[in-house]
Amino acid sequence: MGDHFSISVPSKPEYVNVVRLTASAIACRMGFNIEQIEDIKVAIAEACTNAIKHGIKNREENFKIQFLVDEEKLEIDVEDEGHGFSCNEIEEPDLENPKEGGLGIFIIKSLMDDVQINSNIGKGTSIKMIKYLGDDL
Amino acid sequence: MSIHIQTNYNKDENIWIVDIKGEIDIYTANKVKEDLNKMLDEQMADFKINCLELTYIDSTGLGVLIGILKRLKKEEKNINIVNPKPNISKLFHITGLDKIFVIEGE
Repeated sequence: MGDHFSISVPSKPEYVNVVRLTASAIACRMGFNIEQIEDIKVAIAEACTNAIKHGIKNREENFKIQFLVDEEKLEIDVEDEGHGFSCNEIEEPDLENPKEGGLGIFIIKSLMDDVQINSNIGKGTSIKMIKYLGDDL
Repeated sequence: MSIHIQTNYNKDENIWIVDIKGEIDIYTANKVKEDLNKMLDEQMADFKINCLELTYIDSTGLGVLIGILKRLKKEEKNINIVNPKPNISKLFHITGLDKIFVIEGE
C-alpha cells in the first residue's frame, strides 16, 4: 500500500501554480528527475485548467486532487463535478488549421505514462494519470 | 507567480522584440494575450520572443501564441521563439507546433 495525499482546490486560476508546486514537491521527494517533474507539473496544470474552464458549474465549488504515491509510480487523480464532456471530442492537433484551445488533454497523454479520462455529461470529469519512476517508457 | 513582458519595436527590421519572464498558465495567459494583441494593434510586424527567462508554459500559453500567429500569418508575418528552455521546447515538439513556429537556439 502506498501513501495517499489529497487536496481540495478552489476553482480559480490563481491556485493552479500552487497545485504545480505541490505536485513538484511530491515528485521531487519520490526521486523523479527534473524532466519528469516538469512533465508532471504541466500534466497536472492541464487537468486543473480543464476542471476550471470546463468543469465547474458553480465558481464557488472546489475540485479534488488525489496523489497516490508508491515505490514505483505516482498516480494523480483530478476530479470535478462539472459539465463533463464527450471523450470523442478530444482531437489530435491539426497543424493545417491550428486552434487556440483543445491541446490540454493531448499534452497530458503525451507527458504521462498512463492516462484514463472518464467524463459524463452533467456529472463531471475525472482525469487519472500515472508516471512511473525510472527511465521514461 | 508573475509574468513580466518587455517589448521593443525595431523600426529598421520591422520586428517586435519581446522578452517574457515568468510563467504563462491559465492565470497569466490573458495578460500575455492582451499585451501582444495591443502591440499588433499598434504595429503589424514579425515577433521575436525571447524565452530565456520563460520558466513555464502550458496549453493556455501555447493557445495565446497560436492566436497571435494566426493574426500575423494573415499579413505574412511570423513568430520566432528564441532560446526556449528544454521543458518549453519539448511542448512545441510534442504538439507539432515546432513546425509552424520558427524556433531558434534550442
